[in-house]
Amino acid sequence: MSRSLFIRLAALLLVLAACTGETGATSTTVTPDDGTTTTRGEGDTTTTQDAGGPVEGGTLVVAISSDPGHLNPAITTSGGTHTASELLYNGLVELSDEGEPVPGLAEDWEITEEGRVYTFTLRDDVVWHDGTPFTADDVVFSFNEVLLQYHSRTSASVGNAVESIEAPDDTTVVFTFTEPYAPLLQQLSVTEAPIVANHVYEGSDPNENPANLEPIGTGPFRFVSYEPDSEIRLEKNPDYFKDGLPYLDEVVMRVIPEAGSQVIALEAGDVDWLWGVPGPDLERFQADDNYGLLRTGVNPGGQNCIMTVSFNLDQPMFQNRDVREALTHALDRQAFLERVLFNQGRVAEAPIHSGIGFAHGENLDMPAYDPDLAAQMLEDAGWVDQGDGTRAAQGVDGVADGTPLAFNFLHFPTFTAYGELFRSQLGEVGADVTLQPLEPPVFVETVFINRDFDTNIISFCNGTDPEIGVKRMYITSNIQPIPFSNSSAYSNENVDALFEQGAQTVDTEARSAIYQELQEILVEELPYFWIVETEGFRIHTAACTGFSASGHFAEAAWCDR
Amino acid sequence: MNAGYVARRLLQLLPSIAGIVLVAFLLLQMAPGDPILALAGESGDAEYYAFMREKFGLDDSMPEQLARFASNAIRGDLGVSYTQGRPALTIIGERLGATLLLAGSALVISTIVGVLAGVIAARYAGGVRDAAITTVTLSLYAAPVFWIGQLALLFFALRLGWFPTNGMTSPSPPDTAFGQFLDLLHHLALPALVLASQQVASVSRLTRIGLVEELSTDHVRTARAKGLRESTVVWRHALRRALGPVFTVIGARIGYLFSGAVVVEIVFGWPGIGRLMLSAVQTRDGPILLGIFLLVSTAVVVANLITDLAYGTVDPRIRYR
Repeated sequence: MSRSLFIRLAALLLVLAACTGETGATSTTVTPDDGTTTTRGEGDTTTTQDAGGPVEGGTLVVAISSDPGHLNPAITTSGGTHTASELLYNGLVELSDEGEPVPGLAEDWEITEEGRVYTFTLRDDVVWHDGTPFTADDVVFSFNEVLLQYHSRTSASVGNAVESIEAPDDTTVVFTFTEPYAPLLQQLSVTEAPIVANHVYEGSDPNENPANLEPIGTGPFRFVSYEPDSEIRLEKNPDYFKDGLPYLDEVVMRVIPEAGSQVIALEAGDVDWLWGVPGPDLERFQADDNYGLLRTGVNPGGQNCIMTVSFNLDQPMFQNRDVREALTHALDRQAFLERVLFNQGRVAEAPIHSGIGFAHGENLDMPAYDPDLAAQMLEDAGWVDQGDGTRAAQGVDGVADGTPLAFNFLHFPTFTAYGELFRSQLGEVGADVTLQPLEPPVFVETVFINRDFDTNIISFCNGTDPEIGVKRMYITSNIQPIPFSNSSAYSNENVDALFEQGAQTVDTEARSAIYQELQEILVEELPYFWIVETEGFRIHTAACTGFSASGHFAEAAWCDR
Repeated sequence: MNAGYVARRLLQLLPSIAGIVLVAFLLLQMAPGDPILALAGESGDAEYYAFMREKFGLDDSMPEQLARFASNAIRGDLGVSYTQGRPALTIIGERLGATLLLAGSALVISTIVGVLAGVIAARYAGGVRDAAITTVTLSLYAAPVFWIGQLALLFFALRLGWFPTNGMTSPSPPDTAFGQFLDLLHHLALPALVLASQQVASVSRLTRIGLVEELSTDHVRTARAKGLRESTVVWRHALRRALGPVFTVIGARIGYLFSGAVVVEIVFGWPGIGRLMLSAVQTRDGPILLGIFLLVSTAVVVANLITDLAYGTVDPRIRYR
């Protein structure tokens, strides 16, 4: 009897296995190839070309990793909220895929008094989703009462420089700054400065206004429903001020927190668009014609990000620049690119990201990988080889003789692969590195508030202008408890002065020269070491196309299935 | 059982719940990581931090914060979420149904399957069926639930296409109420089975042990000697007495179900409390976390009480005074 049961079980298993084989083979073709051709990986633009042109209608299903909590992008910089809500809103100015300012709610602008005054002319044909006309009062209200209070990035940048924001008439807004202010046009996109409705938010606490859950914007899509932690439904805004857009009838965002589950949902055809995929899956999607790939400098945390190692200059060990240079010679940046990023990105060749073309340094003397030179320089700096692969101090300023060359390396848990490589490469030259993975809020507290670390790695996103995401890392006035600011506690009067000059110079060529000089100083002094420029990847089903990388990613998208 | 006993037990619950919440509050206070830093992300200046800290009263002393939390909580106000700006109770309430549905289904499934498996194992104790049941249930018990969940997704949802891969509803839901109900069941099936799979072992082991013991007792021998069919002996006479311990562990299992639900909800994109808890931990959203601790600890404590009371109904030998 037990024998017959065993045979039956075995037979059942065989049948199951056979079923798997069959369905496995058919289910690989998730989306039938409908004649669209796909080109991949060239530049920041949409990768799919279609012979027939845009198709009206249809639903796009998007996977998002976290619940937005609310849908008001003006009161937060949270990536979750922004991803889910930016399609509902507009900024005064949009950024093209090349990062150039192009008209949004403002159709034109004029910069006067050497960059101290910006005058924007607004479109007069924009209406809010509830039918109310959009006017300059909405812009002034959005900045003064909402953005400069609650949008932490814009309040820290524009808020600290602006003198007044005024509306002389319904279609004019004037920004006046205390000093010339160059980067403003880069800071008015829907991400940095979404405009909310005066008539909806006036007289309320913007954090608790019910409209945060039933938003009224001006964007290409309008709000339909929001089920917390489940889905957000948006529908086409038929009155959108850009003629003919959007093409899609509906965008449905599904909250799928786990990266592996997102990949499975895409492969099963349950969703059409992912904001990112784990490295190993990327290669598979790249090779598969059923999917399109959008390559971009825009990461979830910001744009133009460089994985950057900080040396805590409060520690005597790192105060000698030769020691810092020695350690950088021990790091093989090419290996980081290959083994951590699977070649998706590029080796950093300057302190400022190559995505900010005018400011990116050229022909800089970045320390090359040379472990022998590293060892020699450490030896010369007084970190003497103990014969067992370790080093100890001998006559190093501020360090007791015999102190081993050992330090910690703090990183987000998601950056463990960087840590492993950092430890093994520095181990080769006799430095004993202890990895310390810390969750983001704890990392911030440990590094920027308590300053209790030796070295760390941070994805510093440079944004589209050095003012936005570069300056914060280097200026002396940022040696204070501010997250993601001057992590190394670096201070150099010349650098401070050059950054100030850069912010107040409006002419691009003159600015380029300033930032070139600045980066030459930084590469000489090495308060940080710039490892790799990372890239973001969006994956979509080949049936849908016309995407851009961020912000209004689906404004001009269409699906043909 | 009498009303006095129940009232006394209910009164005893209060200090347990208060204790749990106090410990949770202290843990949150001691945990590294500042909610406002998490809120600001990669940006913000001193002015912004001061403004937000003031807004949420984070600069008050710990006793002040605790007193404020306690007095508000008693009045049913758990405070406002740091990240969402809405009452924590509302936010938790929105997700409670999904978790109760998932955990409740898993509880029912695992109990029924577990008892059936336990009965089969007990009736054929020492045989192949017994060994097979033991092996399978213990393997499921031992394997991490996120792994089982991912495997189930890959196999049943992706390869076989029997189930949707995520969520509680379809991106384009059916029009009729009945269609929507079926859609919900379709989405519920896989996560509920995965969550239940962890729990089958404890039920089936307890059932098997209890039943094997019962089947060797005198009254069962008497029943058999009377000529009753074996199935009647097992199902009507022996099983009822053997199930006592199974009911006892239901209370404890509720706690496990909630913790298992956290993982299952994340793998299957199920919009419940567990996922809310994870994101609240990541952003140090105190009001949400304390609210969830309060709710879950109350649920576990109450479930234990109900179990104790139900025990008396199942096993007539037990009387409460």
